[in-house]
Amino acid sequence: MIQLFGMTKMLAGNQGTLSLALPDGKRVKDLVSVIDAAYPKIGELLQKKKVLVSVNQEIAHEDLEVKDGDEIALLPPFAGGNR
Amino acid sequence: MSLEHSTKADLPATDDEAMLVRVQREDFSIDEELRRVRRRSKRIGGIAMFLGTARDRSKGKDVDGITFEHYEGMAQKKLREIRERALKDFGVIEVLVLHRYGEIGIGDNIVLIIAGAEHRAEAFRACQWAIDELKQITPIWKLEHTPEGEVWVEEHP
Repeated sequence: MIQLFGMTKMLAGNQGTLSLALPDGKRVKDLVSVIDAAYPKIGELLQKKKVLVSVNQEIAHEDLEVKDGDEIALLPPFAGGNR
Repeated sequence: MSLEHSTKADLPATDDEAMLVRVQREDFSIDEELRRVRRRSKRIGGIAMFLGTARDRSKGKDVDGITFEHYEGMAQKKLREIRERALKDFGVIEVLVLHRYGEIGIGDNIVLIIAGAEHRAEAFRACQWAIDELKQITPIWKLEHTPEGEVWVEEHP
């Protein structure tokens, strides 16, 4: 299960989570490909690194291996704010 | 030594520590939060504070209200990291970091940073660093309500 926030929820048709099957031993970049196939708009933002993937509450590198039970989320750009 | 000991004994130490980093829906009292920082140590001689409030304009557009969404767990984790790094790297005595979520009215409080140090220079530096870092690394998102509709804000595209 992948948690969604902010505009990614909208792009997934107002869902708070995505349920996508990812075979064992796969990496974050494989997850991005799976999302890209199902939700191309989110996929594009992931490719451009405008949306980041977090694994276990840390921003994940594309080569990080995803394990069963990992907490995965898609993080759109944070609220930030003008300096 | 004994003085420091007795000061600490007066505090509900673990409770207070948890209260120094919070993500909450309800508003906060600045006086109460200042007291919370001050009573951590009698060595504090300078306190710097940043309060972020909800503006009624954003990028030239009217804003009627804001909704903040956060990633429960990760948001708190990042705020705790900010407090710990500020304490370690800036020579301050205490740092408090609060952020609200949910619907926020125009003019209402959003975020509060309080840094207490022996002297003002460290307090100012830690406070500025903490709010800048918060905006970079904390998974919190802002939905602005405008007369034209709702917009998720991206400040770092």
